[in-house]
Amino acid sequence: MLLSAIVFLPLAGALVSALLPKERAGAARWIAAAVTAVDLALVAWLLLGFDVAGGMQFIENREWITQAGIQYHLGVDGISLSMLLLSALLSLIAVIASWKQETKLGAYFAMLMLLEVGMNGVFLALDFVLFYVFWELVLVPMYFLIGTWGGPRREYASIKFFLYTLFGSVFMLVGIIALYLQGGTFDITALTGMGFPATFQWWVFAAFFLGFAVKVPVFPLHTWLPDAHVEAPTAASVLLAGIMLKMGTYGFIRIALPILPNAAEQWSGFIAALAVISIVYGAALAFAQTDLKKLVAYSSVSHMGFVMLGIASLTPEGINGAIAVMFSHGVVTGMLFLLVGMVYERTHTRVIEDVSGLSVQVPVAAGLLAFASFASLGLPGLSGFVGEFLSLLGAWKSAIPAAWVVVAAVGVLLAAAYTLRMVQRVVLGTPSKAVEGISDLSVREVVLLVPLVALTLGVGIYWDSLLRYVDPAVRATLALMGGS
Amino acid sequence: MNLLQPVGVVSFMALSAVLFSLGLYGAMSRKSTVMVLMSLELMANAVNINLVALSRFTAPVEMTGQFFAVFSMVVSAAEIGLGLALVLALYRQRQTIELDAMQELEG
Amino acid sequence: MGYIIAIPLLPAIAFAIMAPLSNKARNRAVPVSVAAVVIALGLSVAAFLAVWPGGHGEALYHSSATFATIGTVKLAAGILLDPISATMVVVVTLVGAAVQIYSIGYMHRDRRIGWYYAALSLFTAAMLLLVLSDNFLQLYMAWEVMGLCSYLLIGFWHEQEGPRKASIKAFLTTRVGDVGFALGLAVMYVTAGSFDFSVVLHDFAWAPGAATAVALLLLFGAMGKSAQVPLHVWLPDAMAGPTPASALIHAATMVAAGVFLVARALPIFEASGVALTVTMLVGVTTALVGGLLASVQHDIKKVLAYSTISQLGYMFIALGAGGLVAGFYHLVTHAFFKSLLFLGAGVIIHAAHTQDMREMGGLAKKMPVTTVTFTIGSLALAGIFPFSGFWSKDEILTVLWHGEHYIVFALALATAFVTAFYVARMWFRVFTGPEQTSGLKEAHLEMLVPMGVLAAVTTVIGFGSPYFAEFLGHDGEWPAAAIALTSTAVAGLGLALGWWAYGRRSQVLNTRPLKIRAGWVYSALSQKLYFDLTYDYFIVGGYTRLAEALSGFDRTVVDGIVNGSAAIWRTASAVGESIDRVVIDGFVNGTATLVRALGARVRRIQTGRVQSYQGLMLAALVLLMLWFVVKGA
Repeated sequence: MLLSAIVFLPLAGALVSALLPKERAGAARWIAAAVTAVDLALVAWLLLGFDVAGGMQFIENREWITQAGIQYHLGVDGISLSMLLLSALLSLIAVIASWKQETKLGAYFAMLMLLEVGMNGVFLALDFVLFYVFWELVLVPMYFLIGTWGGPRREYASIKFFLYTLFGSVFMLVGIIALYLQGGTFDITALTGMGFPATFQWWVFAAFFLGFAVKVPVFPLHTWLPDAHVEAPTAASVLLAGIMLKMGTYGFIRIALPILPNAAEQWSGFIAALAVISIVYGAALAFAQTDLKKLVAYSSVSHMGFVMLGIASLTPEGINGAIAVMFSHGVVTGMLFLLVGMVYERTHTRVIEDVSGLSVQVPVAAGLLAFASFASLGLPGLSGFVGEFLSLLGAWKSAIPAAWVVVAAVGVLLAAAYTLRMVQRVVLGTPSKAVEGISDLSVREVVLLVPLVALTLGVGIYWDSLLRYVDPAVRATLALMGGS
Repeated sequence: MNLLQPVGVVSFMALSAVLFSLGLYGAMSRKSTVMVLMSLELMANAVNINLVALSRFTAPVEMTGQFFAVFSMVVSAAEIGLGLALVLALYRQRQTIELDAMQELEG
Repeated sequence: MGYIIAIPLLPAIAFAIMAPLSNKARNRAVPVSVAAVVIALGLSVAAFLAVWPGGHGEALYHSSATFATIGTVKLAAGILLDPISATMVVVVTLVGAAVQIYSIGYMHRDRRIGWYYAALSLFTAAMLLLVLSDNFLQLYMAWEVMGLCSYLLIGFWHEQEGPRKASIKAFLTTRVGDVGFALGLAVMYVTAGSFDFSVVLHDFAWAPGAATAVALLLLFGAMGKSAQVPLHVWLPDAMAGPTPASALIHAATMVAAGVFLVARALPIFEASGVALTVTMLVGVTTALVGGLLASVQHDIKKVLAYSTISQLGYMFIALGAGGLVAGFYHLVTHAFFKSLLFLGAGVIIHAAHTQDMREMGGLAKKMPVTTVTFTIGSLALAGIFPFSGFWSKDEILTVLWHGEHYIVFALALATAFVTAFYVARMWFRVFTGPEQTSGLKEAHLEMLVPMGVLAAVTTVIGFGSPYFAEFLGHDGEWPAAAIALTSTAVAGLGLALGWWAYGRRSQVLNTRPLKIRAGWVYSALSQKLYFDLTYDYFIVGGYTRLAEALSGFDRTVVDGIVNGSAAIWRTASAVGESIDRVVIDGFVNGTATLVRALGARVRRIQTGRVQSYQGLMLAALVLLMLWFVVKGA
């Protein structure tokens, strides 16, 4: 019941908040904050009762649509737990970050909570139909968040985002149906290790690949991301980069690898190639950007490339690393988007050239921005390093050609280049016109960032704080693949 | 025509027809709204005469016609009251009661 | 021996206390940082003394704890106290304490002094963690954190353009090396299955191929950090930071971390063989290039920076020849005398208000203490008996001679000659000749005492050289007389040439004898042998152009395909729409037009006159009656 509560509690909150009369819409803030906070507490409770070595647990399995063999099947293991924690935490932070939102409050917070329903559901669902429902559910509130509360080109961005991801998920649906016809069930755990014929696996993997790769996003399917980020309101950017991108890579680890192991091996070279291209390409594009949000968006493409590289390695190091990057990227990019949003609120510009000398004018904001930047460029002792290093180790250990791994490692250097160039212009130097006279972060804003800072440090220094949950699940996944 | 002939139904109907025609002519030709209303009253009374006469000569026991006539007179009284009130209101607004001045509904 | 953990922990705690404070509170918290490093110094000396008598290269204390579990592999962080690390902690904390005390005077007017101390503390913690680590992964992590601190301190005065650019250049250039280091770790992990020194350096039997790969990759990392050619370009620019920070980071400790890494990993290098040769070649190239470039600089800090590059090259030569003791010993002596020189340079810059040696002169009369300490440092650098540089340089030359690397030996001697030349050039320009600055006066006590301590160490430490070798578990000897005499003669010649060119007629200002006598050599050298220009144009410029081209590619091609397919779809729907409009809408609209035309005719009877309506009604009534009559109802 705990998992159902975690998934559907925000739905109740969303309904209440959407039905609030107009003159009471201000209450939506408090409803959303309370609901997401309780949800986070539930996840924390789940964490306490979680058995590290216990595999899939807290399972709920009921008949749902009996005629089609569709079940209401939820469960959590170390991999989904880490993502669930991230989702619950970032949702709460997104709500508090939106405190100053003014227009259509009831609908806005309802959308945020609805988004959390979908994200939590994706990470917990163990039935394909349920998974697909949650997967698509996520699109709707995000579409409205960007399209209604977004920037000047919000309509273009939201439609592009919606069509792009819908394009991917249609292929995923084809894959799901193919698996159902071949395996006779929609149950994800039951489908693992069925040993489908190789050709069949190859085609189904292709379908899933399209579905997941758009979400990640992998080069060349990434162009929706910068547009969506630039137009999205801060909270939506945080959730988009922090969690939604991870849904794609989570799909690879939870679904594509254990159900289609042979195809995963055949495809790993191709995926690794795309991953390496994404790393370098994303880094180069981030270097060329003049808009802060676009820079962070392209850096996401680069970082998600490390996730894909780790997954393609099919080694315990690589997949542990992939999940560590997913977690770290969620935390760190969340921080970056929050800070960029806070700076934008004050200076009304995101153009890198126009913002400089933050450290003189607003030392707290500048310090946190520098901290997040260093975490993002993979400084050891902060969380970004853990995953990228493990991904590289895994890639080197696997059959991926060494030259590609070398190129990926150069990506770490390029990350330092674009990040430091941004820090040099924005954080350092003397205050520019836009920066003069702005106020430093409020207590609310600092409180918002502190948990993220703590997670960045905690995971970066004591890797096992994350890996002790993830590693057993990764080993179980690889065991299901029959390898390693 | 024999003037000493007892008054019959035809006489009443002739009177009614004359009155109706006068009323119709007035309604069609007068410019003053009050005059038109008076003409309408003439036509209504022509009908009343017909009602009473025909009732008296065809079904004297039931007195249906008389009832209808009384009914009709009440309605006419109300109608003329309403009509005059409208005319008064129009006059206050426009300082005229000429029908030709009122053509707002021209299509 | 549990207190060892406190050595790196104390400065780390100091940083953790200071970092979150407000700027004002942080400025008041400076004593926290100083106290931490001084206590750490005490503990380090205690640890060193605990190791010293036993010695012989064995580890005395080792403890570790797992911080990551991946499948069956456990990654542990650990503290390893053996003679090398015991020596290093003393070097780091001693120089660190000297610099922190000195900075009280040097930085006292800066309004961000607290942040300066916080960064120094973090740096000290990272460096101590690095030297005490028992595995390569921890070493790498500490290594990168030091890089961060170096970045922060070089860019300390970030309101100016120069320090900002220098800091980013330093971080990126060293990170080029770090990419190699990281890949080296990956190869090491895949080959040996561990990062632990005990496994990688002792238990595992390296095949030459794998050893070469790992060793060369680690060497590449070391070249970045230790500013070896061709990755040396960042160090001279790094002088944009505060001088005491340069003394600690860019002279004594961090730049020596590369040497430390190679020294630690020497068994892998020896298993490879090829890697040793490469190390020696890198070292000898760097030593010569650094020395030559130092000879044409006018900025006193840049002279010292190139000199550091050159001396680090010397250490690589020694390690490449397999001379662990010689290389490591030179690291230690260099740490002391070079930080001494930097601290002296700081005092000089404060007094003369310039870094340009052409605008200095005659400082000897007004600043006696600084002159003495600086002279001791200079002589040590030039390799003159009895100062420490003499001993360690001779050990290196001895190793080369015994290893029969005669060409390298000759080049090393040439470097010694060049070194003595630029030392003399610097010394005479700064201390002799006419005074060019008014109001010269000696520095405060808190700046002089650290310099005095370092000068004392520089003077006496050389006599310990044979014991030091034993301490590290090798045979110790005094330097051979023949080599000692040769090197001293060469150094003396260098000093003499320096005097002849710059000291003899020092009243003639701005003389450029080298420029007059060898113009093309001079211009090549003053352009830093074109390294920076090449990198700027081809690598930095090339990457910037590539990034912009790719950005255009992304907008036009990748996104173009997406938008293009959207456009195709839009065209298709436009065609569909026109069919819609012509055929289906045509029918609907036609009906509407018909109705409208009829209405236009019919409207004429709608006059708005009551009486015309009455007429119509009458006509209709008549017609109706006629109808009934004709029909015969």
